[in-house]
Amino acid sequence: MSIDLQSVSTRPGGLSPVAVSRRDQFREWLDLHAGRLFIAPAVTLILLFSIFPTIASLVIAVSRVKLSGEGFRFRFVGLQNFTKLFAGNDQIHFLGRFNEMSVIGWVLIAATVGWCLRWLWRQWRAGFSFIGFVGRLITIFALIGLAVVLAGTALSGNAWGTLGTTMFYVIVGCTVQFGIGLGLAILCSQQIRGKNFFRVVFFIPMMITPLGVGYAFRMVADPTFGPFAPVWQWVGLGTFAWASDPWTARVFIIIGDSWQWIPFIFIVMLAALENVPRDYVEAAQVDGASGTQIFREIVWPAIIPVAATVMLIRAIEAFKIVDLPNIMTSGGPGIATESMTLQALFAWRSNDFGSSASVAYLLLFVTVVLCASFFNFVVLKHIRKDQGT
Amino acid sequence: MSDTPAFRPQAQPGLMQRLFEPPAVGKMAPVTAVFVYVVLAVWTAFVVFPLYWVFITSFKLPQSVSQGPFYLPFVDFQPSLHAWNDLLVKDWEDTLRAFVNSVIIALGATALAVMFGSMAAYGLARIQYRPKFGSIMLFVVILLGGVVAAVMTGLDWKIVFAVAFALFVLLLRAVSRFFVRTLSNGDILFWMISQRILPAIVVIIPVYMMFQSMGLVDTHFGLILAYSVTNLPIVVWLMHDFFAGIPLELEESAQLDGASRLFIFWDIVLPLTRPGLAATTLLTMILCWNEYLLAVFLSTSRAQTMPILVAAMNAGDRGILWWTMCVVIVVMIVPVVLMAVLLQRFIAKGVLTGAVKG
Amino acid sequence: MQTDIRVPVQFDKVAKSFGAVKVLEELSLMVEPGEFLVLLGASGSGKTTALRILAGLETASSGRVRIGDRDVTETLPKYRDVAMVFQSYALYPHKTVGENIGFPLKVRGEAPSAIEAAVKDAARQVELDALLDRYPRQLSGGQRQRVALARAIVRRPSVFLMDEPLSNLDAKLRGHMRAELKHMQHSLGTTTIYVTHDQVEAMTLAHRVAILEKGVLQQLDTPRNIYNDPANLFVAGFIGSPPMNFLKGTLKDGRFDMPGGSMGTSLKHSLASATLGLRPEDARVVPAEGAAIQGSIYTNELIGDHTLITCDVQGQMITVKATKDFAGQPGDPMGIEAGTAAAFVFDPSTGARLR
Repeated sequence: MSIDLQSVSTRPGGLSPVAVSRRDQFREWLDLHAGRLFIAPAVTLILLFSIFPTIASLVIAVSRVKLSGEGFRFRFVGLQNFTKLFAGNDQIHFLGRFNEMSVIGWVLIAATVGWCLRWLWRQWRAGFSFIGFVGRLITIFALIGLAVVLAGTALSGNAWGTLGTTMFYVIVGCTVQFGIGLGLAILCSQQIRGKNFFRVVFFIPMMITPLGVGYAFRMVADPTFGPFAPVWQWVGLGTFAWASDPWTARVFIIIGDSWQWIPFIFIVMLAALENVPRDYVEAAQVDGASGTQIFREIVWPAIIPVAATVMLIRAIEAFKIVDLPNIMTSGGPGIATESMTLQALFAWRSNDFGSSASVAYLLLFVTVVLCASFFNFVVLKHIRKDQGT
Repeated sequence: MSDTPAFRPQAQPGLMQRLFEPPAVGKMAPVTAVFVYVVLAVWTAFVVFPLYWVFITSFKLPQSVSQGPFYLPFVDFQPSLHAWNDLLVKDWEDTLRAFVNSVIIALGATALAVMFGSMAAYGLARIQYRPKFGSIMLFVVILLGGVVAAVMTGLDWKIVFAVAFALFVLLLRAVSRFFVRTLSNGDILFWMISQRILPAIVVIIPVYMMFQSMGLVDTHFGLILAYSVTNLPIVVWLMHDFFAGIPLELEESAQLDGASRLFIFWDIVLPLTRPGLAATTLLTMILCWNEYLLAVFLSTSRAQTMPILVAAMNAGDRGILWWTMCVVIVVMIVPVVLMAVLLQRFIAKGVLTGAVKG
Repeated sequence: MQTDIRVPVQFDKVAKSFGAVKVLEELSLMVEPGEFLVLLGASGSGKTTALRILAGLETASSGRVRIGDRDVTETLPKYRDVAMVFQSYALYPHKTVGENIGFPLKVRGEAPSAIEAAVKDAARQVELDALLDRYPRQLSGGQRQRVALARAIVRRPSVFLMDEPLSNLDAKLRGHMRAELKHMQHSLGTTTIYVTHDQVEAMTLAHRVAILEKGVLQQLDTPRNIYNDPANLFVAGFIGSPPMNFLKGTLKDGRFDMPGGSMGTSLKHSLASATLGLRPEDARVVPAEGAAIQGSIYTNELIGDHTLITCDVQGQMITVKATKDFAGQPGDPMGIEAGTAAAFVFDPSTGARLR
């Protein structure tokens, strides 16, 4: 490597001249405002089509909207749309049928209240912060509200409404899907042959339109021309229609939902499992730990932050469930499988915009409170623990 | 005779031990192996069977569907192409239109979401933003006032918003120096990602009204806008971690060499995140391709997408035309599954890096 | 021809703190036109921060930075006309060697033909002409390093900034590249500021060395003066391999006493608690009887051309350089002697050198 002085020096050095031409000036301006330019389109889109409609939806939720010739006419009706849902003629539809509270109902309410008080007390002991306290109060408000609804309807032998159905889809669906998804991921992370084949096959349902999933399961589960019809006949359930019983209908929707969403949990958990450092596992193997011990002591703590995050994502999407109940059962029998989104959709179809918006707003409230609580009190805790801060 | 029992070879393991204990570290015991493969096989069947059923149903004649289940083509029923013929030959115009609509809308929305989303994600990963908390509150208050004013007075909302926006700019100039509390990049990022929580049903009615007054209902552009906004949070969330993972020195070096931010983004950063970009694009495209709820609200005939065509096979009083519906579903599934199989490793990685870092 | 690119650089009371942490405290130094200045310090000493402030990648909390006659404290990096070689080389993995080298010219909007010529030229300087179509991942560490160098010289900047450019190379290659770098800087004549934690690089490359510790400039001088005339305890201990011996004792009228011996210094002071600095090569091994400092051999290590002997003097260890044929066993008594000029005396409470 020798330096030839003459040839290198032919390019004159010195400081760059400041931009002069108009094009350069424009470039300068662009670079100076690059920061804003980068986020401006996304912020504008979100403001226009997400934040503004959210606010406008609040206005619709407190109005009676009429279609009149050219456009819409709004009339302010206060909280009438909401009171209708909580105490008026839509109460049975939204919350469920309340009769006398059963003993189990009271037990559930007492247990929830007790747990909430203990939780508050623990926070008080760990150090009080105002924002944390308010956040916990909101969470507790939502939890006790849900407990009262559940205790007053299902646990007292009555039908629940769309709120209960939505929560059923979220809680049961997420739990089942997480359990099976993690189980499959654990199996696939073993030394098995054909790992890539299983990985690809198990992933496919995630790619399929929920609409297709709904119709496919409706076909497969059909008691007269579905593939399992002979089985039903043989067991003596030939005349039984799963869609006419609330519980079988809900279970079938959960099965369809699980078919679609287990792949997501499977694929993320599999990646998380494969990301657990081999050294730790091998060190434990050398120390003579059994498979279950290794999983409990080493693998599970390592994947818990991913597990919590994946559950959060899954729950966020689960709250919005609409396609499957719409297609498989149209919300029936009665309202047994109707989710809140579906209720809002039906209200919109009957041009009852105010009710539709108020149901949607309540869904937003429940989703935000429960997801934010889960994020703040579960996910963040595990992420922080993981980072050792 | 020998006093070194410790060196005696181990006794031959018993049958139970051989069945239940792994022969070596990292290997499975025979019983475990059988269990694992049986479970995997059962699950494979559960995953594949509904797809298989959809696939064979698309080749069934109406009577093959209604007269009870037939499982194997050529064995217990004679496959027929009549449903395919109906859709692809007889009504090919409707099918093609829906397909083309779906392609245009999925591609357009994906392009828009990925472009704007990655720009925002990059900005948030690399540039410090310090928006004032007070300014944002002011904006929200004025926006709320604008909405209420437009609804109550019945004025044209475009005029109301022009006035509100002007008012916001003027007020901001006047009072912004009194605002002290600022937000950080993390707050903005959280705000953008948290938009995914918003159920589409909440915004759909106002968006529908907005689109109606702008003439965007039942147009490609309207659906593209709606889809890109719903998927923007996913793009921002996934891409942010890819951008944050690029060595900062590469960008600093380019900066010293005189490159502008936009040039660095285009010439250095985007090519380096190609795998992440591919995964994000694919995921967004699949979500747009499969979307149904927004399409129901925002398209009536001209901009109908494939999912709407699927639902249209539910012909009300005549029952469901299962055979043709299955054809449409197969047509919808095939391209997506092909892409997904090709790119599924990327998706796992992309989702994971996002998930781990939260 | 060269004079127009020889530019001075000035730090004027430049300070930098991240929140409550002070990384750099009022650094003032003047880099002469065409000088090769090395910023030497351990990690966390603030040397890289100083370099990044000069590059414009960080902004100073206070103080001014000047390049040539321009105050660039608030200037964007791209207008400072500096080129930087990073420790990781920061080569763009998706661009070929040629595209990497040509990048600074491309962003300046030069004509493709001009870029090609300049790239070929710069590549020839660093003997990379045959590899222009390769990608960085196909190159060895030394070749990557040279690509980074070529990218820096291709646009003839006013100032070269180098952030530990050799630390990712193996020892042998590092020695070779060091010589090449020195030659290149000499022939280009461009003002160069070079950050390293490696004292050998600092001593061999620099016209002057600035030693930083905890954000404070300890000494700024030629390598020779830094070695022969360290300003304080830190510099004395930092420079030299094996490091200077530090002995605890008392100073009385210029004579240093410690348990196990005493020796004269060139000073006249008295100090109740003093530290004596003695370089291993300035001390001689002598027979124990009658020696100024007496102890026993703790261990001896044959390095090759010399032997390092560690001597235990009543609990204090002194390392002495001896000839390669030194024969002695651990535990043997030995003596040490040194001239008064070789003794540096420091005040252990402040670290300051007594003169």
